Amino acid sequence: MAQANQNIRNFSIIAHIDHGKSTLSDRFIQHCEGLSEREMSAQVLDSMDLERERGITIKAQSVSLDYKARNGETYRLNFIDTPGHVDFSYEVSRSLSACEGALLVVDASQGVEAQSVANCYTAINLDLEVVPVLNKIDLPAADPDRVCQEIEDIIGIDALDAVHCSAKTGIGIEDILEELVKRIPPPQGEVDAPLKALIIDSWFDNYLGVVSLVRVMQGRVAKKQKIRAMHTSMDFQVDRVGIFTPKMKDRDYLEAGEVGFIIAGIKEIDAAKVGDTFTDASNPAQTALEGFQEVQPRVFAGIFPVSSDDYEGLRDALSKLNLNDASLSYEPETSQALGFGFRCGFLGMLHMEIVQERLEREYDLDLITTAPTVIYEVEQTDGEVIRMHNPSQMPPINKISEIREPIIKANILVPQDYLGNVITLCIEKRGVQTNMQYMGTQVNLSYEMPLSEVVLDFFDRLKSVSRGYASFDYELSHFSAAKLVRVDILINGDRVDALAVIVHADFAQARGRDLAERMKEIIPRQMFDVAIQASIGTNIIARTNVRALRKNVIAKCYGGDVSRKRKLLDKQKKGKKRMKQVGNVEIPQEAFLAVLRVDDK
Amino acid sequence: MIPLSLYIHIPWCVRKCPYCDFNSHQAPEALPEKAYIEALLKDFEADIKLANGRPISTIFIGGGTPSLFTAESIDQLLQGINKISPLADDTEITLEANPGTFEQQRFTDFRKAGINRLSIGIQSFNSSHLKALGRIHDGDEALVAADIARQAGFDNFNLDLMFGLPEQSTEDALSDLQQAIDCNPTHLSWYQLTLEPNTLFHNQPPKKLPDHEALWDMQQAGQQLLSAEQYQQYEVSAYSRTGKQCQHNRNYWEFGDYIGIGAGAHGKITNAQGTITRTTKFRQPKQYLDQAEKNLFYSSTTDLNVNDLPFEFMLNALRLKTGVNSDFYEQRTGQPLSSIQATLDDAQRSNLIHLDGQNISCTEQGWRFLDNTLTLFL
Repeated sequence: MAQANQNIRNFSIIAHIDHGKSTLSDRFIQHCEGLSEREMSAQVLDSMDLERERGITIKAQSVSLDYKARNGETYRLNFIDTPGHVDFSYEVSRSLSACEGALLVVDASQGVEAQSVANCYTAINLDLEVVPVLNKIDLPAADPDRVCQEIEDIIGIDALDAVHCSAKTGIGIEDILEELVKRIPPPQGEVDAPLKALIIDSWFDNYLGVVSLVRVMQGRVAKKQKIRAMHTSMDFQVDRVGIFTPKMKDRDYLEAGEVGFIIAGIKEIDAAKVGDTFTDASNPAQTALEGFQEVQPRVFAGIFPVSSDDYEGLRDALSKLNLNDASLSYEPETSQALGFGFRCGFLGMLHMEIVQERLEREYDLDLITTAPTVIYEVEQTDGEVIRMHNPSQMPPINKISEIREPIIKANILVPQDYLGNVITLCIEKRGVQTNMQYMGTQVNLSYEMPLSEVVLDFFDRLKSVSRGYASFDYELSHFSAAKLVRVDILINGDRVDALAVIVHADFAQARGRDLAERMKEIIPRQMFDVAIQASIGTNIIARTNVRALRKNVIAKCYGGDVSRKRKLLDKQKKGKKRMKQVGNVEIPQEAFLAVLRVDDK
Repeated sequence: MIPLSLYIHIPWCVRKCPYCDFNSHQAPEALPEKAYIEALLKDFEADIKLANGRPISTIFIGGGTPSLFTAESIDQLLQGINKISPLADDTEITLEANPGTFEQQRFTDFRKAGINRLSIGIQSFNSSHLKALGRIHDGDEALVAADIARQAGFDNFNLDLMFGLPEQSTEDALSDLQQAIDCNPTHLSWYQLTLEPNTLFHNQPPKKLPDHEALWDMQQAGQQLLSAEQYQQYEVSAYSRTGKQCQHNRNYWEFGDYIGIGAGAHGKITNAQGTITRTTKFRQPKQYLDQAEKNLFYSSTTDLNVNDLPFEFMLNALRLKTGVNSDFYEQRTGQPLSSIQATLDDAQRSNLIHLDGQNISCTEQGWRFLDNTLTLFL
């Protein structure tokens, strides 16, 4: 039986944000002449503007390069880019499982970060060969010996002969490519076996429909072939196959060991989910590839247009984003305070921020986003279990027998100096320590922590208590019963649904007081006293008020003043339009976000 | 017939005050008084043609500091106006004057020239507050000015006074008011210092301004004192003895017409077809004088849009404590009252406006929050 091409090397790069993954991949493309100088806009792989701006890869991409090695042979290098953020760990695991090896790129001055550790463990679990690389070796602060030691201590792989490079200046690029060829094993898999192609990523293209990036694990996929997505059992006819150089280049077929794209007249990315297996419809494989998961949103928030006229526009924009992002979910939501909008589900906080930014930037929408919440399981006294992703769905207290909240397993890597601060923070966030391991100068902390505590401001706080040195990775673990209550905010006696939060009973009092105080700072003085109350059920736990203005009147207005005074009042009126009217109280947009920043005083 | 007033702007001051947003310029060594009076008269002659033969009911010579001009010039000006459009004997003719420009003879002569009302820009009697306001006079000069005015035969005069000054306490404000009252003026304009755009104070706000609550206390206490001393409030910042309201300003607030002549002066004139035109004259004194040679005066004329009329009417009318006759609305905007009925109903429901037979006025609440009330008409 024919084996996969032994001159192929499939690899990913594991790196922390800013450690130079994108620059390095650009160097590879340049070195192998994948693109001419002219075509080489910096960092081609991060194709979305937003990705480039934030330096984060959101969608996986790939590039196939031909490298002429020092031994005279030409190798086909398939570099599969991976998303670089904790929210996308499932996508990362799928990208990695399409590879035989991974480069671990570590900043030679900053050292190893938690996210790289987590991804490295995933790679090692998937039997990948991990090749360490020290980047930014040219920087004065570079300390390769210390960082090598750290890699050995923390990740437990041999780092003595890690390649030293500088993606920026080009030092060591060829050495890396040589290491790759030497150390990463060629692909396994038989060309004649029934097709199994792993979907690494799918995206929607306005002209082509759904494009899927695949790794052919065994068999062969050709034009006109009928293929089947094994988890959805849907069949499609292949229109085009090919590779990215990084430009799209058509081929007649892809076979075992290769990475490339398939276009098969698929209209919705839900039909070609990340992690699913394409097989031959007429000669299907017995089993799908392992590791497929339905992606579940974990963090929910309401998104409302500031102006109700934008509701349709928001719906269109969400449906367009959804074409390319199956992990984004949305359903209509009506808020008494904010009107018509959508309850949206995200993978995590970064995902939420990205969606929000794209909606505002690419679709020019003015939006109010309510504080994010996680999904809770509520067991009612009648035995029914509901999944609650909006505080307003919470049943009356007497109908609840138990509320369960999602718990994560968090791994935090922190230099010893900041250990105390980080532990204090984790305790404050209701974390339970499960492990603590000294690894050289760093400490690896494991905690079980409620996800709800993490979505608020954990990441920012972690960075600030450790001066940016602590890094963090998590995975969802289980649901666990907790004493949770809903704290409502009442403005002049009216409950403002969009300001409600679910919090642990032990903290409810303090949170309620804090929220009420915060509202007091944000809501401007108006014609009437504005009473602000925080309550749990009918029990008022905090109250304060915004005192009425005494007057609001222009002191003088004579014959020549009319047009200026008109401008002044026009401006005042416009300012009010940007506020949300609740009863007769005007609430500025910031109020709805204030819930987010409850803790950071 | 819609009453017609005349506003005359004299654009020069000894020095520009940091809070002032009027069109005023530091006076040159020699004021071009003669040329300016000539220009004003030509300006008036051109504008009066738009008024369809209506007589002038009041005149206000404002600034700037009109009292910088000689009595001779003012005499010439009033005579010239009288020639073009004969004035009734009882026409209210006000001249603005600033302490520090007061000489007995000059004011005696102003009175002779036909000025029958003075408006004196005291602002405060407290020398350190006056300094903070950038005024050229001190507290003593302020008192002297009032004295001179009376001696010159002005029994009808207004004092302009401010409150809410940097570091001012309620006691300070009351002391200012009491000293003003002791001068026994017929009228007091007592208004809160406002940081107007395009002023030095707006860009560099003075420190230690009283806060909202302190301002309110000051206003309450001051109004009580004024009321006890028989000064009746009739507008947001205007108080007078019985029968001594300023007819000229009242005409603005009743949405009457006015011709505005002089550098940067604004006018509002309703033509025979009922269209209301706002006029603005060239702003820079030199430009105004140059253009006047060629009989050109307007830097802009704008016909008011019908949609803007409700707001513009209310912006003025609702400043009056007792409001206005609703007939004025129809007469002066040319629009039926029914066209704003929905807004009026809304305002009544919100307890901001009070409709009583023929009278439209703010409620106590609506007046205190006049800006909110007016926003309803935008």
